[in-house]
Amino acid sequence: MKLMGRRAWIVLVFCALFSVGIGALLGGYAKDAPRWATYPANRYFYSGGRLIRAGTIYDRNGAALAETVDGQRRYHESADVRRALMHLTGDPGGNVASSLQVAMRDKLTGWSAVTGAYTFPGAGGQDLHTTVDAALCRAAYEALDGRPGAVGIMNYRTGELLCMVSSPTFDPQKPPDLAADPEAYEGVYLNRLLSASFAPGSVFKLVTAAAALDCLPGVGERTFSCDGLLTLEDGRITCPHAHGEQTLGQAMTNSCNVAFAQLALELGETRLTQYAQKAGFGRRGLTLDGIPVSGGSFTLADATQADLGWAGVGQYKTLAVPLDYLLYVSAIANDGRAVTPHILRGAGDGLFGLWTRPGERVLAADTAETLTGLMRDNVLNNYGEGKLAAYRLCAKTGTAEVGGGKAPHAWFVGFLDSAEAPLCFVVLVENGGSGGSVAAGIAKTLLAQAIKLD
Amino acid sequence: MQGLPAMFAQWETAVQAWLVGLGGFGDLVTFVTRFFFPLMTLALFLRCLWPLMSGGRRPKPWALAETPDGTRLPLVHWENAVGSGKNCDVTLDDPAVSRTHAVISRRRDGWYVTDMGSAGGTAVGGTPCAGTVRFEEGDLLTLAGVELTVLPVEGDYDRPRQRRGLSGWAADAARSLKPGVTLLYLLLFQLTALAAFAFGAGAGFSLTVPVAYLMFMALECLYFLFTRGRGRRRIEPELLAFFLCGIGLFVAAADPDSLLKQVGAIAIGLLLFLVLTFFLNNIDRARLARYVFAGGSVALLALNLLLGETRFGARNWLSLGPVSIQPSELVKVAFVFAGAASLEYLLTRRNLIMFLGFSGVCVGALGLMRDFGAAVIFFAGFLVMAFLRSGDARLLLVGLAVAAAGAFLAISIMPYIAARFAAWGNAWAFADTTGYQQTRTMIYTASGGLLGTGLGHGFLRHVAAADTDLVFGVVAEEWGLIVALACALAPLALAFFAATSVRAARSAFYAIAACGAAVILLTQTALNVFGSLDILPLTGVTLPFVSNGGSSMVGCWGLLACIKSIDERHRSGRG
Repeated sequence: MKLMGRRAWIVLVFCALFSVGIGALLGGYAKDAPRWATYPANRYFYSGGRLIRAGTIYDRNGAALAETVDGQRRYHESADVRRALMHLTGDPGGNVASSLQVAMRDKLTGWSAVTGAYTFPGAGGQDLHTTVDAALCRAAYEALDGRPGAVGIMNYRTGELLCMVSSPTFDPQKPPDLAADPEAYEGVYLNRLLSASFAPGSVFKLVTAAAALDCLPGVGERTFSCDGLLTLEDGRITCPHAHGEQTLGQAMTNSCNVAFAQLALELGETRLTQYAQKAGFGRRGLTLDGIPVSGGSFTLADATQADLGWAGVGQYKTLAVPLDYLLYVSAIANDGRAVTPHILRGAGDGLFGLWTRPGERVLAADTAETLTGLMRDNVLNNYGEGKLAAYRLCAKTGTAEVGGGKAPHAWFVGFLDSAEAPLCFVVLVENGGSGGSVAAGIAKTLLAQAIKLD
Repeated sequence: MQGLPAMFAQWETAVQAWLVGLGGFGDLVTFVTRFFFPLMTLALFLRCLWPLMSGGRRPKPWALAETPDGTRLPLVHWENAVGSGKNCDVTLDDPAVSRTHAVISRRRDGWYVTDMGSAGGTAVGGTPCAGTVRFEEGDLLTLAGVELTVLPVEGDYDRPRQRRGLSGWAADAARSLKPGVTLLYLLLFQLTALAAFAFGAGAGFSLTVPVAYLMFMALECLYFLFTRGRGRRRIEPELLAFFLCGIGLFVAAADPDSLLKQVGAIAIGLLLFLVLTFFLNNIDRARLARYVFAGGSVALLALNLLLGETRFGARNWLSLGPVSIQPSELVKVAFVFAGAASLEYLLTRRNLIMFLGFSGVCVGALGLMRDFGAAVIFFAGFLVMAFLRSGDARLLLVGLAVAAAGAFLAISIMPYIAARFAAWGNAWAFADTTGYQQTRTMIYTASGGLLGTGLGHGFLRHVAAADTDLVFGVVAEEWGLIVALACALAPLALAFFAATSVRAARSAFYAIAACGAAVILLTQTALNVFGSLDILPLTGVTLPFVSNGGSSMVGCWGLLACIKSIDERHRSGRG
């Protein structure tokens, strides 16, 4: 029987295999249970694919953006607020992947690994308190006026997003028949601030400038000559017209392609790539309090000299998610440190609100200061500051050519260099024409409203 | 005068009204009991598993083998390998003795010795023996010149050392966990569950549920009293089975008729368990019956193939008048029985041909019925039993190769088989078609959390085959993951128990039967639990003792009898 006792290992092999299976079960549960539990067929939370049991989503002032009343999901009372924040709350069908009702449905439904879907009868899900201001978002939606685009306004001290609006959108309370007008609703489920990437255009000159300030000694004292055309061996860089002799600051204000292409060529692809990556282009895995954010891209692989020059002015293959710009200008405003963006109140408080992790250093402090000066000059010498005179508006426009005979994307990116209103912003209007006229106007209107918030 | 059914209905209405009148009290009961059940499950499992895992299984010797230098070695098994190898039960340290020289076996009518083809030969009383020779206690055995005398157990012998220290303490502590107290724990658990179920049901309350459930609990008590009367003390495997049955009854309770059927099946299963335990106690009797079992199995499967009905894609049902049975569930028991017994005088012959043929017929028949889950289960049982008997690792490889070839052949001849398993590992991509059952099981397993959402309230119940194939998910949803895992781990504990008990087994017959049965239960559990959660393909087998289904329940109790046969703790004196 000793012999047979030895042979009994085969039974133990079966036991071991079974234990591996149990391990796989527990591993799968630990990893995927929130996803399993919140699949829209779960009758604890959904009925006919529609969320029926979930907590309330509030804006920063405690206004209910979405709540469950009598087993029905009810959105904000104002149709424009509903449209403005559809990408944040989500739609009844759960189509917006980056919305709270999808990306945070495990929290919102109140599911937990210990108690599962159980709640004492009458209790609902967990509430979410967001950082956005419903009125400001509504104003942003109205300012975009139906044009596709995105608006983001963030407090660059705390990282709290006050405004996050994407267009086109629709009313989640009464979803229209999207198929009836596919052109108007193209990409309607995408939150353009987080999930779509665009050619950045001249806004990228802020990155090229940062690299030049760090790596090319005496660049601040140099002058750049522009006759409207820079001819290279393998192509050419053009400006709308000849800018003549300019300093770096004037070249920035003029948004001179020739000058910045020259700088890009002097920097070379290694250093330009390095600064683009530091600025966050092509970063992967960023999340906004758990909401996944897409990555843009920056590559100079197989680039010719002309490509390198165009990359220096934000054309070539570079793509940016609007949130990337918001974070980059937050670093310029914050003496070189980018903040971590937040959409949920309290998420950035750190350990009991006593300690917050300092933001990642993106720029040297003096580089950030010089860039601030250049952006301030842009406003003073070119864009104008309207009602924001007391708040030191610093900004950069972008007009990104998209080809195909379409009007360029209009960008306006910047911040208020002010302790009372530490706000940074990004405005994008797709095919909106010139950044200086379209996007800048929207930004100034919204900032005038935002500075009145507490 | 009112008839009994009318009175029954009247009471039921009264209780319903009372429960509804209590309002939110049912919610409160759920709120409290969902903490109670997992804790109680942990306590119960501790009380059942500790004694199972911690030794205390030191059989008394049948006789003593005295060597020339006066050493007295105990013969504790019915078959004792004698030789110079360290795997022998009686080790003779002499270079002339072969590694496995001979086998001394005890049968009903006396002692036998079988030479295992040794170089030095074996003699009884000076006469060289060929094959198996009977001898009397006191006769002189000569193994390649080494003399050995088998003596009755009197006086002193080399007792195995008493265990000390931590393991000795653990064994003592395990012995102090009285099964009677464990049964009281179990009854408390089940009564509380019954109350929670009733309060949760409210207006949907059915008086049949408590009536049927109390019948089941009475059965548990009767069984306990019966074992006490027979002087058997350790009944942990049965208590585990009762625990699982008790959980399963609440899954069946949604339909009072099927609940009554299930209680009946448990009663029949328990009866089979008792009969088989009694039957197995006498090896010679059991051995004689093997042809009956083997023949009966083949006949039942053949009948199934000819007259069977197809349900849920497999032709594995047989209607006998008002009852329909799944023959493969019952054949499992006969398979183990025949497999363990078909080796004539165990350890002494290595002829596997008969068992190979028998296994081939069984697995082949199941394949033809498209009951692939059962085919895999039988195959696992075959592998283990064949290996325990032959010790030949090549056999395992050949077996696996044949199985792989068979599976490949089946899939290439019948492509719809592959289609049935297309969703495997990718259920979410087919969430509302072929992966429907798996994804629903995952959804509601996760919805249950660790503590469950309350008995009888689950949503998974409404999915097809929830009470059989997806029962793990139903338990996880309503009782929580802790209790559901306990249901899955109970067969693992039994298999571990069987494997570690082999050394102390009286006879190789019990060792093979117990290991075969335990692996069959374990494989079935794996296919059910992992299949429903998309870790393995969903094959539609039952979860032992928990799933709703009469044939399965009876079959599981039969297999438990085979596992129990290796449990030497309850046997006293000569079996």
